[in-house]
Amino acid sequence: MNAVQRFIRSRVLLLTAAILIIAMCLSILVQGQSQAALNRTVDENSRGLYDILVRAKAGNSSGTGALIQPEIASGQGGISFEQLDSIRGLGGTSVAAPISLVSRVTQNLETPRLDAMDYLGYNAGLVGTATVGQPDATDASKWPAAESVLSDKPKTYRLTASAVSSDGVNEQTLFKTSAEGSLGKGRVIEEQTPGGKSTRIAGPSGETGIKFPAPAGGSEHNLFNLSVALPLAPQVTESVVAVDPAAERALLGSAGDFLTPLEKAPPADARNAGAIGRYFESLFTSGIGMDQLKEGPDFLGVKLKYWAPLMTQYQQAKRNGQLTADSQAIPLIVRSGTSLDLKYSVKIEEIDGSGKVVQDLGTVTRSLDKDYLPFVSRSPFALAWPGSTDHSQLLGNGAFGQGLYNPAQWSTDFAKAPVYKDGEDAANGAASKTATPGEWVTVNRLPDKASNGSAVDQTQRKPVDERSYREGLETGKKPATPLPIVYGTFDPQQVKDAAGDVNRLPLGGYDPTPMTLSKGADGKDAGNAALKPSLSATGLVSQSAGAITDFYGLAAARGYDSNANVIDAVRVRAKTAGTWKQAQPEVEKLANEIRAMGLEATVVAGSAREDANIFVPGYKKDDAGKETDLGTVQQSWVRQDAADAVSGSLTGTNLTLLFLALCGATLLTGASTVSYIRQRRTEAGILRAMGWTQKKIRSWVLEEFGVGAGLLAAAGVALSLLSWNLATIIVSVTVLAIYVTAALLAAGQLKHQHVIDQEPQHDERLITIDSPLTFANRQLTTHRFNSISLAVAVGVFGSAVGALISVLIDIPRAAGASALSGLAAASIAVPSILLAFSGVLVGLLLTLVTGRFELQAKRQYIGTLQAMGWNPDMLGQVRFFEHALVGTVALPLGVLGALALGLALAPYAALWAGLAGLIAVLCWIPIATKVVK
Amino acid sequence: MSDKLNSELTSRRASVSASLKTRANSIVKSEDHATPLELVDITIHYGGGKGGSEPVNVVDNFNMTLHAGEMHCVAGRSGSGKTSILTVGAGLTLPTSGRVLWEGDSLETMSDDEIADRRRALIGYVDQGGALIDGMSALENVLLPAVPDGEVEQRREMAKDLLDLVGLGRRMRHRPSQLSGGERQRVAIARALILGTRVLIVDEPTASLDRQSANRIIGILKDTTNDGIAVLVASHDHELVRLSDTLTELN
Repeated sequence: MNAVQRFIRSRVLLLTAAILIIAMCLSILVQGQSQAALNRTVDENSRGLYDILVRAKAGNSSGTGALIQPEIASGQGGISFEQLDSIRGLGGTSVAAPISLVSRVTQNLETPRLDAMDYLGYNAGLVGTATVGQPDATDASKWPAAESVLSDKPKTYRLTASAVSSDGVNEQTLFKTSAEGSLGKGRVIEEQTPGGKSTRIAGPSGETGIKFPAPAGGSEHNLFNLSVALPLAPQVTESVVAVDPAAERALLGSAGDFLTPLEKAPPADARNAGAIGRYFESLFTSGIGMDQLKEGPDFLGVKLKYWAPLMTQYQQAKRNGQLTADSQAIPLIVRSGTSLDLKYSVKIEEIDGSGKVVQDLGTVTRSLDKDYLPFVSRSPFALAWPGSTDHSQLLGNGAFGQGLYNPAQWSTDFAKAPVYKDGEDAANGAASKTATPGEWVTVNRLPDKASNGSAVDQTQRKPVDERSYREGLETGKKPATPLPIVYGTFDPQQVKDAAGDVNRLPLGGYDPTPMTLSKGADGKDAGNAALKPSLSATGLVSQSAGAITDFYGLAAARGYDSNANVIDAVRVRAKTAGTWKQAQPEVEKLANEIRAMGLEATVVAGSAREDANIFVPGYKKDDAGKETDLGTVQQSWVRQDAADAVSGSLTGTNLTLLFLALCGATLLTGASTVSYIRQRRTEAGILRAMGWTQKKIRSWVLEEFGVGAGLLAAAGVALSLLSWNLATIIVSVTVLAIYVTAALLAAGQLKHQHVIDQEPQHDERLITIDSPLTFANRQLTTHRFNSISLAVAVGVFGSAVGALISVLIDIPRAAGASALSGLAAASIAVPSILLAFSGVLVGLLLTLVTGRFELQAKRQYIGTLQAMGWNPDMLGQVRFFEHALVGTVALPLGVLGALALGLALAPYAALWAGLAGLIAVLCWIPIATKVVK
Repeated sequence: MSDKLNSELTSRRASVSASLKTRANSIVKSEDHATPLELVDITIHYGGGKGGSEPVNVVDNFNMTLHAGEMHCVAGRSGSGKTSILTVGAGLTLPTSGRVLWEGDSLETMSDDEIADRRRALIGYVDQGGALIDGMSALENVLLPAVPDGEVEQRREMAKDLLDLVGLGRRMRHRPSQLSGGERQRVAIARALILGTRVLIVDEPTASLDRQSANRIIGILKDTTNDGIAVLVASHDHELVRLSDTLTELN
């Protein structure tokens, strides 16, 4: 019988080689797939819109692996246009897009009104003139019959107007004002005038009307409604950022197309506010066509849909004396909608002469919503009386929408980025920070003068203090009042989508970074309520900037007349293509060139967003001035080098799992070898008796092992060639080394050993065998080697299970806290579980192989006991107690081994590892009892 | 040599007989009981399972009645089914067909637990080579059948006497690995008798033993028979066949 035949006959060797080859193939295959999935995920998500973030040296300096706050446009400036040109001039630069925070802007919304339907029909009043020239007006024959929600005889009403704002957690009533008066159905009054007949709409006799405090203008009857002027809505503050439209479009791709109109804005010397205002005034006086009203008049190649607010604000500024020769028009692309939660409500009650409520007609509410546009507010704050129908569209849609009439107030207060202090990092690297409270900011103010120039009753509203978490900013000279000129709108969500979800790099103030409240001030879970922007726009909560302008606009708004260093940050995309890893050398080179200019260059290729936990102290104060904390909020920041960390950590985890699986295979080989030696000792004795030398016996054994080694080597070479990576070669060589070591050990163990006959043992200390338990105990003591081998195997199995569980539990933590880590960990979850499962399977096989050492003897004595009349239940007890006793010995080994491995591999999951080891050993006891049956 | 052995056997016989009568009979029921062991139309087939192998007819329609104080020998070549008949008779395996009656009760109607309990009270089984359990002394091996009933301590003296009777009084603390084949066989017989067995079933008790050891075993079995215990033995030992009361020779 040759070595190959002997190898095949020796089932243990064949089994060992087969298991090793299968373990090697599966482990390498699974690990390879896992690694490929990991690399793919990381590569796909690790190169964002730009590669390098450039800021001034004095800015937020960051080292490797730093967490970058999203507010990169801080208003601090520090980078000059010469430096920007130099960056653009570098050979490796593809795009260099500058950005700056311009200022915060406070605007008074137009006067809100309450419209009570009071439609007098087609023939009433001024309909004829109102429809003149309105091509889309409804034909006269199709106008509905007159109707009104008001009574013929005036009734007395009490209107209570209020505004409530919510930051997502707390609601705050900003004002609540009531006014009373009588209202009734309008009537058409025809009067003879010199040269003809005059028609007008007037209220019923006895109607007092309702007037809120100034600047609200009272109530008046018009064509379709009785309109009551309501108290002014609270001021809304917005921030403005400046970009280079061309560079920004290059950065954002098609998502940046909204900036196209801004590129066509006139140069700085052609932006005189007075000249532009006069131009639009002239349009109005010279007559403007309906199509121009609809699409907006052409202004140097751009249709200015929102030209009316500019014109009215020009007129208002001129009237107030705000406009000077230096006033500039600032071209703006404004944000669509708002996240600001501002509800304006009017409660309507009918009352009697004594002020007692006769009937509650209801409360009507209007919120700032997606129709709101900063600097334009094209949708008037009109509320409808309950039961009203809006008939105004009968006139067509070409009505002239005035929009905001007061020029906004531009300010550079509180423009600097928030200040944070670092806290302790969590186990998974999640950063903890504390916001630094700034000064209190007073909001909810009323303007000094109404639109008609009259004084405003300041007693009707109590200003509100809001905490700012930002600092003031030194700027240039006090600028002349600028006028906004709205060139278009943008949707922040589209910009956000363009930036991607995982590697979402901060683009600047117009890229919103929402916040959620994770824990309240009391430390309790707050359910991750989304925090909405406050009225001041200077608080911690951020929303997208209200408008985007260019750097000429910045100079006009901030009062710069020279080329100041006003660029907050430059986002640079390198020319080199490929994944973050492939591009890394070129990106680093480019970053170094930028650093050589004296600027801070942070490589953000390979970054990923990560939630920072920020504790916010001193958030609000009560009437007594006592401050209350907000709690802990979460906001996505950017973890630099996240891809490297995730890739390295999860690759390490992959290799650990591979290592653990192969460790199991190693132990299995050792156990198989012991089994083999036990089988072959008798044969070796026979051969020795036949005159074989020890050397000959050794080579006889090694030849058999050699066949297995050959098979393993062949498998290793094949796998290495197929996968063509270093890990496979290392694993193949390791497995082969394990096998060869086991072979040499086996050959060495076959040496002849003289058995010394023992004298009779008169050991009175032995426990009397009077039960299945004592019988099992004696058997285990007798077969000490086997029992210990099995206990060790079970302990190793428990340790392996614990270690693998700890690694699996630890994957998310090891990967880190970034969005990329979650994605990457998910991508390798299935292969990791497969690897872990195979490791556990190998551990289980190990116990089975070790358990087989004495299986024949066990079966024999179980048969003997059966022949003696031991019933099946007692035989079952013998089997159970044997395994329970082995399990008891294995338990500390399994638990401590699992704990130790857990501590070494994943300290945060060590306890779970210990628990898994305990459960694994406990589970083994009944399973093994069943198997031996 | 043979005369000396016979003389020794004769002297020992008296001792064994006395002891068994005084100790074992105190537990064993009286001889006027029903037939201790009866095999009726026993057929034993092996194989023919899912593997597709041809079934092997080991025993066909075997009948045997074993009375108290009688030694029945089942003889035959190796593989003729001797051990199969013994294990069926001991209730360790079930026949393919036929009935096994213990004191007139059929095993068919008994559960595994009932069979185990009845076996403990009725049957002493000694398998080929006298399988002892490693790690336990001869005395402990003999006492093992007393464990289920919790009578280890009560039977300790009896076990010592039995070991004494089979000539191993000085070897009772030796482990199986320290005993010869004949000694192990004798320990196994003592173990089979510890509970006052009424049927002793012994498989090839003299196989691979020298003549002297074999004769010693045969003497013990004969003494046992004389004490009213029914003995069913499988053997092709001529001496044993000669001394048996009845014989079945298998083809």
